[in-house]
Amino acid sequence: MRKSLLGSWLLLLLLALPALAQDVAINGRVTSSDDDSVLPGVSVQVRGTTRGTVTDATGSYRISAPKGAKLVYSFIGYANQEITVGTQTEVNVKLVAGAQSLDEVVVTGYGGTVNRREFTGAISKVTGAQISNLPVGSFDKALAGRAAGVQVTSANGVPGGAIQIRIRGVGSISAGSDPLYVIDGVQINTTNNSTFTSSNPLAFLNPSDIENIEILKDAAAASIYGSQAANGVVLVTTKRGKAGKTAISFNYYKGISDPIKKLNVLNAQDWIKLRTENLVNAGTTPVNSLTNVLSTLRLPINLSDADLAALPTYDWQDAVYKQGQTNNYELNLNGGNEKTRFFVSGSYYTQSANIINIDFVRGTINTTLTHQINNKLSIEQTLKLSTITSRGQFGSPNGGSFLGAAAFSSPLILPSVPIYNSDGSYYGTPALGGIPGILNQNIVQVSELNTIRANQNSFVGSLALNYKVNDNLTIRPFVSMDYRSIRGHSFSDPRTADGVNVRGRIQDQLNENKNFLTNITANYNKIFAGKHDVSVLLGAEYRSDINENLSTNITNVPTSDFQYANAAALPVSIGGSWTGYRKGSVFGNVKYNFNRKYDLSFIGRLDGSSRFGANNRFGFFPSVSGAWLISEESFLKGNSTVSDLKLRASFGTTGNDQLGSAFGAANFPGLGLVSPGFDYNGAAGFAPSQLANPDLKWETNETINLGLDFGLLGNRITGSVDVFQRTSKDLLLPFNLPFTSGYTTIARNAGEVQNRGIEFEINTVNVRAGQFQWKSSFNITSIQNKVTKLYPGIVKLNNPDSTVLLSYTDFYGVGRNAILGRPLQPAYTTDYAGVNPATGRAMFYDYAGNITYRPLTPRDQKYFGTELPKFYGGFNNTFIYGGLSLDFLFQFDYGRRSFNSQTSFLAENAGRNFNALQSFYDRRWQKPGDITDVPRAYNANVEPQSVSNIGGTRTLEDASYLRLKQVTLAYDIPATIARKIKASKARIYVQGANLITVTNWTSYDPEFLNFGSGNSGLVPNSKTYQAGINITF
Amino acid sequence: MRTHKLILSASLLTTILLGVTACKDSSLLEVKPRTAVDSETALKTIEGLDAGINGIYDRLQSVVLYGRDMLAVSEALGDNAQFTNKSGRLANENRNVANNTFGTATSSGGSWLTAYLAINQANLILDNAGTVTVAAADTARRNSYQGQAYFLRALMYHDLMRIYAYDPGVEVASQNKGGVPILLTGVSDQSKITFPARAPIADVYKQIYSDLQSAITALGRSNAYAVAPNYANVQAANALFSRVALYNKDYSTVVRYATAAIAGSIKLSDNASYVGGWRAPKQPESLFEVQFAVASENIGVNTSLQTTYTTLVRPGDRGTTGGFGDLVPTTAFIADLEAEKSATGAVLDIRRQLYELGTAGRGTAFIETTKFLGKNGTINLDNVPVIRVSELYLNRAEANYFLGNTADALADLNVIRTRSGLPARTATELSGIALLNEIYRQARLEFGFEGHRWFDLKRTGKDVVKATAQGGGLAYTDFRILAPIPLNELSTNVSIRQNFGY
Repeated sequence: MRKSLLGSWLLLLLLALPALAQDVAINGRVTSSDDDSVLPGVSVQVRGTTRGTVTDATGSYRISAPKGAKLVYSFIGYANQEITVGTQTEVNVKLVAGAQSLDEVVVTGYGGTVNRREFTGAISKVTGAQISNLPVGSFDKALAGRAAGVQVTSANGVPGGAIQIRIRGVGSISAGSDPLYVIDGVQINTTNNSTFTSSNPLAFLNPSDIENIEILKDAAAASIYGSQAANGVVLVTTKRGKAGKTAISFNYYKGISDPIKKLNVLNAQDWIKLRTENLVNAGTTPVNSLTNVLSTLRLPINLSDADLAALPTYDWQDAVYKQGQTNNYELNLNGGNEKTRFFVSGSYYTQSANIINIDFVRGTINTTLTHQINNKLSIEQTLKLSTITSRGQFGSPNGGSFLGAAAFSSPLILPSVPIYNSDGSYYGTPALGGIPGILNQNIVQVSELNTIRANQNSFVGSLALNYKVNDNLTIRPFVSMDYRSIRGHSFSDPRTADGVNVRGRIQDQLNENKNFLTNITANYNKIFAGKHDVSVLLGAEYRSDINENLSTNITNVPTSDFQYANAAALPVSIGGSWTGYRKGSVFGNVKYNFNRKYDLSFIGRLDGSSRFGANNRFGFFPSVSGAWLISEESFLKGNSTVSDLKLRASFGTTGNDQLGSAFGAANFPGLGLVSPGFDYNGAAGFAPSQLANPDLKWETNETINLGLDFGLLGNRITGSVDVFQRTSKDLLLPFNLPFTSGYTTIARNAGEVQNRGIEFEINTVNVRAGQFQWKSSFNITSIQNKVTKLYPGIVKLNNPDSTVLLSYTDFYGVGRNAILGRPLQPAYTTDYAGVNPATGRAMFYDYAGNITYRPLTPRDQKYFGTELPKFYGGFNNTFIYGGLSLDFLFQFDYGRRSFNSQTSFLAENAGRNFNALQSFYDRRWQKPGDITDVPRAYNANVEPQSVSNIGGTRTLEDASYLRLKQVTLAYDIPATIARKIKASKARIYVQGANLITVTNWTSYDPEFLNFGSGNSGLVPNSKTYQAGINITF
Repeated sequence: MRTHKLILSASLLTTILLGVTACKDSSLLEVKPRTAVDSETALKTIEGLDAGINGIYDRLQSVVLYGRDMLAVSEALGDNAQFTNKSGRLANENRNVANNTFGTATSSGGSWLTAYLAINQANLILDNAGTVTVAAADTARRNSYQGQAYFLRALMYHDLMRIYAYDPGVEVASQNKGGVPILLTGVSDQSKITFPARAPIADVYKQIYSDLQSAITALGRSNAYAVAPNYANVQAANALFSRVALYNKDYSTVVRYATAAIAGSIKLSDNASYVGGWRAPKQPESLFEVQFAVASENIGVNTSLQTTYTTLVRPGDRGTTGGFGDLVPTTAFIADLEAEKSATGAVLDIRRQLYELGTAGRGTAFIETTKFLGKNGTINLDNVPVIRVSELYLNRAEANYFLGNTADALADLNVIRTRSGLPARTATELSGIALLNEIYRQARLEFGFEGHRWFDLKRTGKDVVKATAQGGGLAYTDFRILAPIPLNELSTNVSIRQNFGY
């Protein structure tokens, strides 16, 4: 309270300062240095004020500025230029198209922009052009490998599916680690509320509408967003209209996608041999074993060797993995005059996955409008409408070992099992007893007959009014709505296994999220005495976010033709829920620049949220940062080698309030609750579900960042190095309670995690010779993650390491361990020691390094690496020759270790009735003296007096990979030819994605997210190829 | 004019800033949950008590208690059953792999966790019921809730003791770590959390006795509100008392309460109706069974009792494959059922009719139990008997045997034998240890796949004899006879001692 009062007094004080200088009227024209073409839409601003204009269709502008003031000319894709106003009244400017350099404009949130030269924070920038036309459902997927400190992982290969972005590591144990996404000022709710399909709330935005993306990484950049900024902030700015002739642009591409890989599994003969071997090794006689195997396969038990050799093998992977198709149509209009500018676009995008009946269809309409009402008032409006229909995979959106899930079962179904009967009908329908084996569902039938669908409709709209009180002060009220509804529908056909016994099941979901945001900001800019450049931002904000869900589950349909709930006779359950939170904030930023060399910035934000306990409702998040532009010092100025050099330092705090789970926010974590749903015998019941903790508060991040931005050889080489330490404190932990208390946990702020890292980004122009250019950019990030504090009183595990370990379920629903002194997401298990050459039994190391068949937990458990990478990054190269350009991007992720849960089933070597990988079959122990890492086949995988032979580290694999993420070859058709079709610009391109993957991972795809089932049953990413054309009239 | 505007806009901004900060004191930042209620007020009305009681029964429906594990895991650990590996479930339990026991397949908290959740809920009911003001007409209803809470708490302590502690009289002294912690006060806020040690075995039995006596008293005054077999009732409380006393080797108490329970309104099924009784949604002999009445209570295709025990969806139909049929009788168990034959070689024991050949839909067909077949009209939806009248006769027979009343013991045994289609035995045919063994044998056959056998072996201190394929069995002194206390308890409560061997 006192703080905000202070703020408003400060504001009044600033308002009272009169503007005294004498103005000069200036006009001129801005052109491009490339081809001398006029540049409409260039921003011309009087430095240190909010006074500015933009160039019109002919590149002309008119502005009045005080004598001695500096005019700043900025335009996306070009280096900024500054001209000091003297006596001349006409100023013509040529802007130089520039690579990333210190002169570009950086968007900083709340309508602010700043010249990168003066920016004190750590930021990465990706332009819309870099990611345009990639066959991705959402823009976040396209960021992979493009920005230092930003790790992008697709959950799976479902088009438009979930993506995770981690900015500078994982800084939370049980709460969320997702960044805040702000699209044109709208803070997006990214909770994934879709029950049936893998969905991504960010898929509503057509990536081609994006002008650029800024990723705010340290506290100096992000703390203006306070309690939501701990995991970084992704600011997306969409395209705006440019004054001038209306440009109509049409873009079309078409593509295909193929599976990255197929697993090499056994044929019918080898499988029968292997399964028989399992039974024989477990003590069944060879004859009985073979009989048993053949009867399991429903084959005659008296097959001769010749009959056996003639058995056909059916490729279930081939049956469900299909070539995918991508189609993209876009049309946009862009134009306006000095008063009104618009950008209108529409798109229609379809993409089918590599697995049958999984696809994604999206239509979008996007409009932005800016209008100058008079010289004081202007409005900015955005409205993005989108509708998405996607079909997902059977079982669960995030994979899992579901019998009917094509991705899970296709490599595991027994190879002698036919897919179709000779008449073309499905083999092994449930009515006929299913198909043989544990995986008894014909996955082709399940995929084709069932319907799993979600409809996501959203609109994201905003309206801002800019009120220019005077040359120095702008006040900007802003209001936005982010609305999303999801209609999910799942139909289990009565002919399929899940429907047969209930005569069909219909499940529906309706989820509505309303995220209302309003803020008001005031921006004050002034230069005092020519060299003290001060700017002040003050603001207040209110956000209300409400989610309502309705779900129904009803069985018994007359026939499979009836797929809607009114046809079903037996309701199973109906669910309804409501949740919501409110947040109120005030914030401010004071920036000071001295003599264009030294910058200081202070940010403070006070956030209050209904989520937190009465005792800790408010949190204050300050930061301080500074920069020193060394290259402006006399000893470096004009130096031909070092053209730009800037040192940055920042310290500050940000907060994290992502509680609950990615699939549903916990908005009442501090209250003592009794929850319904504990019903009995058809009568309502409840039970205590949560103990109150009125002291609950935000998780807090303290980030120290040191950065160096450099430009060498006339900015032919530019880049930055950042080192940071991010200490995440007061992490919300499930404080384990004795179960005898009647509760399992209580939420308390107790944990601490540290991320220390270094980021390096470099952009070079390697060759520039006539029409030929070769440019590279490379980035790499290395982060060390460590749990530095868990709550006191955790009893150490009874093993030689005395490990302090806390088990918890993370935000994404994954049961994990946090080990004190180790990185998050550890693999903590027993050490597989290979196979006893004499007996073929699986051996393990005990705590002392001795061989044992029965390792004990926790005595013999150890730490074996983490699912977090040691380092990651990307390497992009662009070759340009005239109108022809070739671009390729490698992305790498190194040091991740993960249990391969899909391979784990294949590694059973037919210990149960699953198919097995050829490589495990070939390597298995068969006779005394065999030296191998694959134990002998043994029914049920547990030999007497042993533990499971697929346990411990045996299926822990290195998930590192290097991937050729993207290759683009584009050709700009010469203007002379383009003009023949009355086009001003025309471009054709071919593109490929994920073409090469180098990895030791034994399953389909090393890029995946663990949502609790590891990689089992995940739809893998695809290789894609597409070709397109882009014409502008 | 200019100043005017300045002041206007400045005061506008100030007002908004003040407005937002004022939230601190107003309700702007106050959001109440709408799908849950504050625990402070939940149990202050008679409706609240009703919902709270239902919440306890709901815990019993859990897979780790009567939804599956109290029956199926018990059978897997014991010597009646073999795993079929059709889904792989219960294979480790059947082979007695350490740490694979009650509740561990589906919850890191084991059955321990859910039982203590239920105990806390019962404690909260008992803490609050006395202070709820009710209309005079509702007094009996309130008494009934109290009585049910006592019964359910007793049942939970009984189950915890069976799983985690040695039974009285057969403790392996060198390995004995006591009973289970006794909690009698509900936890409604942090300050009420306690860190109790494991109470001595005798103390826990004392508490169970006391709870059952309170249950019988309270339920006796209000039987209309707790209807058998869906809810706890006097006859069920007497019956449970006879069982608990049997575990406690307190034989005269067994006889007293078994006799009281036998006198109740639910009677033993006769020979003609017995098998048919297992096809009805409610087993007619059940004194208390956990209801799985509505579709939303269906445990489903992976872990329901039906899917665990059988591939069939209805008796005699081998054409349709339903569940996995993970756990089926051993050939020895079936042979024992078939041991007594008529002169023409027909199997006499009608209980054999509750076992039949399953389908080959998931591999080799096995003889499976059909006691759970989706009897509530939907596959995988079966009520689960917790205590049946038959048990009372066998409890009393065993107690009378140890009290030296062998004639009474034989009489009760013959009630079960003749009901099952077997000839009555005379005192000359059966005496001494043979009589006792026949009582145990009848209990094994009578309660096949109802989860009794493992606990009966354990409470009598017998070795578990099994074939190699089922893990080879274990001696009574083996540490795996007791389940491990969940690791969480050891790490959160220094007073708790882990069972021997873990």
